[in-house]
Amino acid sequence: MTEQTISTPNKDLSKELSKEHARDVFRAMLRARVLEIKLSNLYKAGKIVGGVYIGKGQEAVSASLGACLTWNKDVFAPLIRDQAGRTAFGEDPLDATRTYLGSAKGPMRGRDGNLHRGRPAEGLLAMISHLGAAVAQVGGVLLAKRIKGELDGCVGATCVGDGATSTGAFHEGLNFIAVERLPMVVIIADNQFAYSTPNDRQYACDDLIDRAKGYGLEGHSVDGTDMLECATVIGNAVAKARSGGGPQLIVAKLLRLSGHGEHDDGSYVATELQEGRYGRDCNDVGKQQLIEKGWLTELEYSKWMLEFNAEAQEAVAVAQREDGPNPYKEEWSAIASPSLKGLQ
Amino acid sequence: MPEVPIVMPQLGESIAEATIVKINVAIGDVIEAEQDLIEVETNKATMSVPTLCGGIIKDLCLEEGVSYAVGSVLGVIDVTDEEIQRTGVSTVQQDQVEDQSHAPESDGESEDDEEANLHFKTEGGGYFEPKAVEPNVQGLPVPMGNKGAHYISPRMRARMNELGLQAADISAVNGSGAGGRVTVADLEKFLDYISAWPSSAASPMRLAVADAMRRSWSRPLATVARPIVMDALLAHRSAQVPKPGLTLYVLRAFALALAEHPEAAGYLIGGRIVHPRAFDIGLAVQVADGVMVPVVRNVDTKSVKELSNDYAELVELARGRRLTEEHTRGGIATVTNFGTFGLTWGTPIPLPNETLILGISAGVKKPVWSDQVGAFIPVMEAELNLTFDHRVIDGGDAGRVLNRVAELLESPENL
Amino acid sequence: MAVTYIDAIRDAQERALAENPKVFLYGQDIGKFGGAFKATKGLQEQWPDRVIDAPISEDAMIGMAVGAAIEGMRPIIEMQFADFSSVAFNQIVNQAATHYYRTGIPVPIVVRLPSGGTPGSGPFHSQSMESIYAHYPGTVVVTPATVADAHSMLLQAVDLDDPVIYCEHKFLYRWLKSDNFEGDNLPIGKARITRSGKHATVVTYSAMVHEAVRAAEILYKEGGWEIEVVDLRSVKPLDIDTVVASVARTGRILALGEAFPWGGVTSEVVSRVCAEGFHLLDAPPMRLNAKDTPVPYHPKLWAMHRPTPESICEALRNLLAY
Repeated sequence: MTEQTISTPNKDLSKELSKEHARDVFRAMLRARVLEIKLSNLYKAGKIVGGVYIGKGQEAVSASLGACLTWNKDVFAPLIRDQAGRTAFGEDPLDATRTYLGSAKGPMRGRDGNLHRGRPAEGLLAMISHLGAAVAQVGGVLLAKRIKGELDGCVGATCVGDGATSTGAFHEGLNFIAVERLPMVVIIADNQFAYSTPNDRQYACDDLIDRAKGYGLEGHSVDGTDMLECATVIGNAVAKARSGGGPQLIVAKLLRLSGHGEHDDGSYVATELQEGRYGRDCNDVGKQQLIEKGWLTELEYSKWMLEFNAEAQEAVAVAQREDGPNPYKEEWSAIASPSLKGLQ
Repeated sequence: MPEVPIVMPQLGESIAEATIVKINVAIGDVIEAEQDLIEVETNKATMSVPTLCGGIIKDLCLEEGVSYAVGSVLGVIDVTDEEIQRTGVSTVQQDQVEDQSHAPESDGESEDDEEANLHFKTEGGGYFEPKAVEPNVQGLPVPMGNKGAHYISPRMRARMNELGLQAADISAVNGSGAGGRVTVADLEKFLDYISAWPSSAASPMRLAVADAMRRSWSRPLATVARPIVMDALLAHRSAQVPKPGLTLYVLRAFALALAEHPEAAGYLIGGRIVHPRAFDIGLAVQVADGVMVPVVRNVDTKSVKELSNDYAELVELARGRRLTEEHTRGGIATVTNFGTFGLTWGTPIPLPNETLILGISAGVKKPVWSDQVGAFIPVMEAELNLTFDHRVIDGGDAGRVLNRVAELLESPENL
Repeated sequence: MAVTYIDAIRDAQERALAENPKVFLYGQDIGKFGGAFKATKGLQEQWPDRVIDAPISEDAMIGMAVGAAIEGMRPIIEMQFADFSSVAFNQIVNQAATHYYRTGIPVPIVVRLPSGGTPGSGPFHSQSMESIYAHYPGTVVVTPATVADAHSMLLQAVDLDDPVIYCEHKFLYRWLKSDNFEGDNLPIGKARITRSGKHATVVTYSAMVHEAVRAAEILYKEGGWEIEVVDLRSVKPLDIDTVVASVARTGRILALGEAFPWGGVTSEVVSRVCAEGFHLLDAPPMRLNAKDTPVPYHPKLWAMHRPTPESICEALRNLLAY
């Protein structure tokens, strides 16, 4: 059965972090941050309807997961603060800008928006708004692979927040993947607020990692603001799941460095929290860590910023120039079966 | 140089407006992409509004402390073509045409969400909250059952329409439905039953008369009658060469009486009485399978002698069924002489567009007491029947007209 | 040898497993135990990897099915009772039903709902959920009433590319028999005229088809009334053409269902007939449903809660007398 490890930072690591992998994680963090600043500005300038939800402060956790997953082989169900994970996994920034800006050429074709996007056939699931619902969904993909005999070497992953841990779906999903002992990694990004609700109104256990044992998952705690720690712990958890070690639960402690969405200034987050241990910006930490290790120079960093800014600007410009969906040419059928199309 | 608008953004799903807290730029300022231009405050949050492209502030139309609706243009930026290309932002002109790009050609209307609750908008620009009110109307008595006795079902209506049936046509059908309602099955059974009887197609003339009579019958019609002595009239007629038609005398007397009482020939339509423009009187002529009604013009202004030719010509045309619309339109009343069939009494029905019809019966020899002679003497007597639309006139009015007609006919030399 | 409605469901699943390697079964107690109603009896022995026991987690069961369908499988999910699918409601209507529209990737899953009342089952083992799921875009909802339909429609459902809510009536499981599984193999989306008539139409589905036929028989003996019975077979899509054609023949319609009376399939039938066949109606369209209370436990209460041949006859007499 699964062994229970409530790990402390950098403990029990079976594999050393490579320079290349660390740089990949950091690049994804930067790319996501730059893209999300663009998206936020588009929203504040009135170009995006609905809302914009960013992952500022959660890039280290998210990118550390996405960077371990392989497009078209593994399956990943990101939630709303996982731009970095999406980017690291391989999502084209155009998918993001097209979906946010409602381009008909985007994967969702204007039928769904903002973060509700994905390429399910290629392993990137498209989230619904109901929290916890993706856990079982990812498990289903893995179970199908097992039945088909294609599971070997594959892994599934999803991220939730502290709020999602209170849902029945999360509980049912975790229990299910544990019962089936599926190669899956579930990350709880405990950013201390579910919209405006603080943790003491969300759960009553000391630490969410305590739940891993209850469900029969292997558990790992990590400081979500520490990039190297995230990359190491999450990387090893993914590797373990992939190699038959059973489902892994990671609780990353951090602080949301934005509002719930860009319509929200997060003014209810106390100053002590913002100035506290988890108030630091994981991107700043990551940059510092790489420079200290000699894995990154300031010059490289500046080049990357220029590159990612140009990439994001281009993605925004392309999507802005494209037409939205034409309601008069929309099929207006939610039915896939050819024999039943258009019937009510 | 292209112009890019500065627009108040939608900062949250339920936000309709936001207040300007601070303006960071002035007209003429050179700005860079991503630079914050203004700070705004909603009831949810305070945040800054950035520009998506660099340029020069060309115009600003906003004040600190003032609220602006989402979508309001707060200013304009001059932007170079290269910058537009680089950032993909849309210009003022593009924004204006954007919304119509997908609409069908005919669909030019713009939808305004703001107008969705127009119903509750007050003149002052605010909205009032509707409150529940007590009903202030006393309801009607409610029937104990919910089955409409004379209800004609949608299917009955459709079937009747298809067969050209009117409500009058199904009065012959026994209803087996609720309250004696005729069901479609009843109707089909009846149609099946009569299919065994000999039948023939009704002629267009018959159908035209049927239609006119059915429409006329929708009004409250009443008939009054009185006898007249015909001897003087018959004597006068016999003395003329050629002899005018007896009906022509009646036509003439009727026109003169109506000229004295024009209100009796009025036609009620909605809240108005339409009065006669001329005393043109119709004449019912029996033809094969129907009746035709040519109209004699200005009967009040010409003598019987003068009218003779017109009259004879119209009767001839009618019998040959060669009347045109010119000959039949515009009558204000009609005369029918059912006496020619030997009938002594009737209740004729006026045309749907006329209020009056005057019938004259066959003359009958009757003994009448004469004070002059001191004995019963034989006189030729006929019956005058006047049918009228009781909505327009009453029995007294009808009686006055009828008495006057009788009086005129008894002195035929004046006609 | 006679076969039953539940035999048809079991046999169809067996055949689907045999013919299509993408098919697998997932549900509570369906493995060695063979399912609460034995709809999967012996199947795990033949396909140990494709007949899988689920924890009591209806939400996760459907979430799993959506994931598996995205991965190309065609899962058949057994809800132990239709009533418990309310726990999976979110996954069915928000995850499964929206997926194709949103992403263009179909999720071909079949959710078997053992539906409807049986004596003594009470409020939480008796519900009819078809109207709830039919309300949502992206679903197909079928309600077989015969042994052959139970068989052919389950196989057809597996082949459809949409989430199919397969409502199987528990009352019919063992009560309904046939010589074999063979039928007319009508496609999903087509209604069937179960009994031809000319005086009034009863439009119904699932177990109520049999109650309607009984009522029609009573009225025929009573007064020679010939009642046409239309079995919808699938409530979504709803074959309104067949219904309207029947109303064209009879001019009168009673929409009959075992579900609760507020809204639902019978309301949908009546509103569509009014909209598309107003000129065909010789009497106000009528509905007859269960009573507006939870399904009661006691057999005497239960028998009166749902429409019965007697209450259907009563409704039809009123309809015919109009």
